[in-house]
Amino acid sequence: MNRVTQNLLLTMLGCAVLRISAFSSTYLNYVKPGFRPFLIAAGAVLVVLGLAGLLQAFRSRGSSGQEEPRDHGDHGGHRDHGGPGDHEGHEEHEGHGDHGDHGGHGHDHSRGPRVAWLMFLPVFAIFLVAPPALGSFAAARSDTPPPRGQALSSFTPLTGKGPVDMPIGEFIGRAWDDGERSLTGREVRLTGFVVPSKRKGQWYVTRMQIACCAADAFPLKVAVKGLQAPPENAWVEVVGTWIPQTFGEMPNGVVYPELAGTDLARVDAPAEPYE
Amino acid sequence: MFELRTDSRSAWDDQDEAVPPDSWGRRASPGRALPWGFALVVVLLVVGRFTLASRLTAPALQTWATVFVAICVQALPFLVFGVALSAAITAFVPASFWSRALPRNPAVAVPVAGVAGAVLPGCECASVPVASGLMARGVTPAAALAFLLASPAINPVVLVATAVAFPGQPMMAVARFGASLLVAVLVGWLWLRFGRSEWLRVPARPHGDGRKWTRFGEAMRHDLLHAGGFLIVGGLAAATLNVAVPREWLTAVADVPWLSVLVMALLAVLLSICSEADAFVAASMTAFSPTAKLAFLVVGPMVDLKLIALQAGTFGRAFAVRFVPLTFALAVLVSIVFGWSLL
Repeated sequence: MNRVTQNLLLTMLGCAVLRISAFSSTYLNYVKPGFRPFLIAAGAVLVVLGLAGLLQAFRSRGSSGQEEPRDHGDHGGHRDHGGPGDHEGHEEHEGHGDHGDHGGHGHDHSRGPRVAWLMFLPVFAIFLVAPPALGSFAAARSDTPPPRGQALSSFTPLTGKGPVDMPIGEFIGRAWDDGERSLTGREVRLTGFVVPSKRKGQWYVTRMQIACCAADAFPLKVAVKGLQAPPENAWVEVVGTWIPQTFGEMPNGVVYPELAGTDLARVDAPAEPYE
Repeated sequence: MFELRTDSRSAWDDQDEAVPPDSWGRRASPGRALPWGFALVVVLLVVGRFTLASRLTAPALQTWATVFVAICVQALPFLVFGVALSAAITAFVPASFWSRALPRNPAVAVPVAGVAGAVLPGCECASVPVASGLMARGVTPAAALAFLLASPAINPVVLVATAVAFPGQPMMAVARFGASLLVAVLVGWLWLRFGRSEWLRVPARPHGDGRKWTRFGEAMRHDLLHAGGFLIVGGLAAATLNVAVPREWLTAVADVPWLSVLVMALLAVLLSICSEADAFVAASMTAFSPTAKLAFLVVGPMVDLKLIALQAGTFGRAFAVRFVPLTFALAVLVSIVFGWSLL
């Protein structure tokens, strides 16, 4: 990988990061909303670094290249540049001798390592596959129960009239852990995507929860009863009331809180797909 | 400075007596054609975006791509930050600073460097380039390694995340801090006593004598291209395992205490979750014992697929095959001791 390629690679990677963070909200499919400034900063640094390198490369191409080859010629000995940092120069060259197997990482720093070509993969993935937010495929295959909310007694009473809009995570928390049983008899409105269930007569309205990035996502599911299942992966708003569980203690295995659905509306996928 | 290489090579091609550079004959001078090649790639990307993207819709492929891109996107700011810090260390901090800042006796420098890891608020992707920058600046490798292991696990951001993920179990964060620091220091000391210098490739850096900012840019570019490529290798492996291995397989063994600790430790290696998020994942593994979760939290920031790839790329394979098993074994043992006595 030569110098121009290296810098073009950095620029393209920076552009890809900026494209999903600064110029759209696609980054929300992958990471938490709070990550945006870091992504923009990282993308900008990459673009600046790449463009500066390109500028250098093109500028020096115009001028004569007589001094540089000599500099490279005795790069291994490095005798000309004495001074305080010199000893470490020798160490690293000794180290190099044993590791000739490592692709492309010789003395010549103008050639990047071969493994750097892989950095084109995320660029291609972002532009070509444009990976969507995790959907029902991911939600159906991992059945780990989500962690419980922090404080078990801190649920505020539900006030107001009509259906209450509520994140699915909060609904699950209130359903399992609320000593006051504040959900009893209240209409709530949940927004999520549809995951079919193996059991008849129900389906799951689902939202993925991420702690840091989509690699650690787990599904928050509420079983909806009494409504015809919409197509898999469709985003819906479900209005319904909680069906209190009949068992006293949590049974083994994974169980989901249940909702008696009364009303269903198809909606567009939200910009922020995760909870 | 190095950018003159393309020109100089084409100049050398004409001289028969000149010693050929190592890249000689690998490819025909691509210098001028390349920008046009890139323009073509960009056009293909734009066209592909509108024609292909709608066809690449197999759910498994999409899930895999999402997880892969998520791992890359999430790690990239930390990598850029770590690389910038490392480049700043090599370009702006004189080598003499480190000999003054760290104790002269390497055996004392190891724990000092381990505790110093607490100040770098990042995840493990940032610590590898920083540690390599420290080594390149003459810091004892053992001390730099202790820093490398400790910093992703014991910095305040990670400890707060751990405390939040385990409400009502403050000992989890304490045990994580203690166990991680102990493992880092032990590994540092063992490396000091038994490590050989030929196992470890102190990373080469372009050390031109140009202006400081030019050197800074050179060092950053160099580290980014090395660490970045290996980060992708790790991301590919982690995404594949994340999609291919159902987690139920693993929870099936949760009831066997010794096995469960090992399984959680292995899971930490395979999933390669950022140390700032792994506490939430560990907390969600409700079937496992606290000791097994602690093993997950201690092993994860020190040994995982993307780290192994990064370390092998930065310090050499000979280093990784010794360092990784040593760290893994010590991390598991120390977690068991801490989990047994504290949790």
